Amino acid sequence: MKKEKKEQRIARRESETDYSSSRGPAVTTAGGSRGIDWRSLLKDWRVALVLVLVLVSVVAIFPHFENGKVETNLQYGLDLNEGAWIQLELQSEVVTFETTAKVSDFVDALSKDLDTDVELVGANQIEIRKALTDDQVRDAVAKAGGSVVSIQQGVSKTTADDIKRILENKINSLGTRDAKVNTLSGITGITRYIRIEMAGVDMNTAQEIVGKQGKFEIRIVTTGNASEHVLFGDQITSVGMPAQEPPGSNNWGVGFTLSETGATAFRESAVSFGAVSDPDNHHLVMQLDNATVYDAPLSTDLAAQLRGGQNVRQLFASTGTGQEGQDAATTLEIHLRAGALPVDVKVAGSGSVSAVLGDHFKLMSLLAALFAVITVGFVVYYRYREPSIVLPMVLTNLAEMVILLGIVRFIIQLDLATIAGLIAVLGTGIDQLIIITDEILHEGKVPSPNLYLKRLARALGIIVASAATVVVAMLPLVLMDLSTLRGFAIVTILGVLIGVLITRPAYGRVIMAVLSR
Amino acid sequence: MGFRYDINKYPPKMMVTIPLIVLLVALAALGVNTLMTGMPVTPGMDFAGGTAVTVFTTDSEDQIAASFSGYPLLDVETGINNGKYLKFGPMEDAEFRALSAVITEKYPDAKIDQIGASFGATLQEQAVIALVFSFILMAIVVFLVFRTFVPSLAVIISAFSDIVIAAALMNVFSIPLSLGTTAALLMLIGYSVDSDILLTNRVLKRQGNLADKMAGAFDTGFIMTSTAIAAALAMWVVSLVGQVQIIHEISSVILFGLAADIFNTWVLNAGILRWYLEGREAK
Repeated sequence: MKKEKKEQRIARRESETDYSSSRGPAVTTAGGSRGIDWRSLLKDWRVALVLVLVLVSVVAIFPHFENGKVETNLQYGLDLNEGAWIQLELQSEVVTFETTAKVSDFVDALSKDLDTDVELVGANQIEIRKALTDDQVRDAVAKAGGSVVSIQQGVSKTTADDIKRILENKINSLGTRDAKVNTLSGITGITRYIRIEMAGVDMNTAQEIVGKQGKFEIRIVTTGNASEHVLFGDQITSVGMPAQEPPGSNNWGVGFTLSETGATAFRESAVSFGAVSDPDNHHLVMQLDNATVYDAPLSTDLAAQLRGGQNVRQLFASTGTGQEGQDAATTLEIHLRAGALPVDVKVAGSGSVSAVLGDHFKLMSLLAALFAVITVGFVVYYRYREPSIVLPMVLTNLAEMVILLGIVRFIIQLDLATIAGLIAVLGTGIDQLIIITDEILHEGKVPSPNLYLKRLARALGIIVASAATVVVAMLPLVLMDLSTLRGFAIVTILGVLIGVLITRPAYGRVIMAVLSR
Repeated sequence: MGFRYDINKYPPKMMVTIPLIVLLVALAALGVNTLMTGMPVTPGMDFAGGTAVTVFTTDSEDQIAASFSGYPLLDVETGINNGKYLKFGPMEDAEFRALSAVITEKYPDAKIDQIGASFGATLQEQAVIALVFSFILMAIVVFLVFRTFVPSLAVIISAFSDIVIAAALMNVFSIPLSLGTTAALLMLIGYSVDSDILLTNRVLKRQGNLADKMAGAFDTGFIMTSTAIAAALAMWVVSLVGQVQIIHEISSVILFGLAADIFNTWVLNAGILRWYLEGREAK
């Protein structure tokens, strides 16, 4: 029954008039079962290239056993690896302005009015380092005697680089194995977001270290709850290690040294605000991002020194006792050392994965991919019922995957979305092999090489057209940097390109050898 | 395969009308959703802001709800294998810090993802731009490939219908629009034209009887979509069992789109093509 239908189908196909076959008999090279000519197949540069690339990719991926687990050189993103990510929104605006006033006067007026840092970052562009709405910016600029041309949330390239460097310093002192700080800037070069990924770090640590500006301030209580500013962390010239004071007391803190100007400011304020004469009512307060880390009267020794007109440059911020005190001391040390970020930051998004779940997702991804290969294999087998067609198809598909992973290993981290992309590439990769096979099989067995090449060219025409649609559909994602989806888009595009340029032409050659046995 | 695709079985007018009605129904469904929520597809946590937690625990949904009663817990989904997926609404920084401390203490192995409301809004805006640009670029490529108006338009309309139907089904099955599902829709834009291109190419660039060419294209195209469905189904099953939310959502959307694609390619696109070719012959 089934055979009858198949014959009908072939008969139907033969009844079609294919322009390319009109010059000669269609079935010519079906010269019995000669077997596949392996040697000439391997010598074909398309086939050889695929084999070489697969080998190179396997070496690049380098699967090996380590501590009883299979390890590879693939890079895993934070879905699949223990760690945390934080995306910071920079609380700042870059404003292009016009003014008839002198630019420096305009900037000064604006800075005074807004009570914040305003930096000139271009001939007529300023960076306002404070979170403001567009209306607030317009009002302030108008008041300072200018007009707004455009407002963009974010910071200039120079500031973004500063922020990146400071964040990297903070992360380095945390001693994490692997961390990345990426500034996400649009086409205008203005950076609004910074994404930080840290392997092996939990969410709370990540938030403490990079989720804040890290602005250190010393204040002195004047009356009741009110206090006056004394100095910022930028007056600190060196920072000690977290230490117990006195040694062995389990009372933790960080010692630091003030600059000469800082020390003078400290002495003058301490005297004028009464911290020297009446220490108990005028506590010395140290704050990190407006949260108090230290609040105590000046010691009698210190008060006496300051009263005598002597600058004190060595100070010690105690942060508490036990483990908690020690952790707080470490956090403070990191922020004092690396300094504050030039702008305030807000956590726009964050996430973390535990080692257990990361491994679970890795396993599931592998299972999904394997399961996909197997089901796709079955579907193709159901259609062709011919192992000599199905096997090269599945192998070509696998080769495509291996080469893709071999390249991906160097350029992006695999995360769950990327893996979904990989599997989708697998599903559509097979599609295109089906197009090739069906075009060539069009009239039963493969005809002369000449005709074969024409048919292959026609198949490749269809493939290139549909590959082009996938590439352009993914292009906006590559250019826009929509969080984690860029990797996904890059994988998809690479997969399609590898297929069209490398593996599918080779498959065409293999399937010809198989069919013309 | 005992089935033979016969283009002459139904009149082309019917082949075009029915899918267009389905498209209109799907568009109407998206319209209703837009009126109700402001977006054609209900935005998920990635765009609306909020916190998602994946955890494996034997605690019941009620127990979980009780432990997080102080936080804006919206929903707890239970998967197979004790997998739980918790969704929280948007929170202030300090509240989120407190929540993440509670989660890490109670479920140290959890996966936490949090997106702030304003960052979510930025992402959503970009996602919509990406979808629009991606569709336009695809349409340009299709026109460049075929260089004839009606057949190109047929491909583009059926791709559009695939996306719209997939989006409408997302609402039906309450799958939110997230970064993952945006990626899936973009993937559909690229892949849904595969079989349409094959069909149009075979019909326009080969000689022979139209019905035979269509039947031949169907044999190839149907198996193509089947393999893509097989791959997506594999992802769907594994991610369901393994509680991998993002892959589960992506594979669901791909399945919707591919199912719609079979219908739109072989009924709508084929119908328009036949109409076009018969009309051309009649002249």
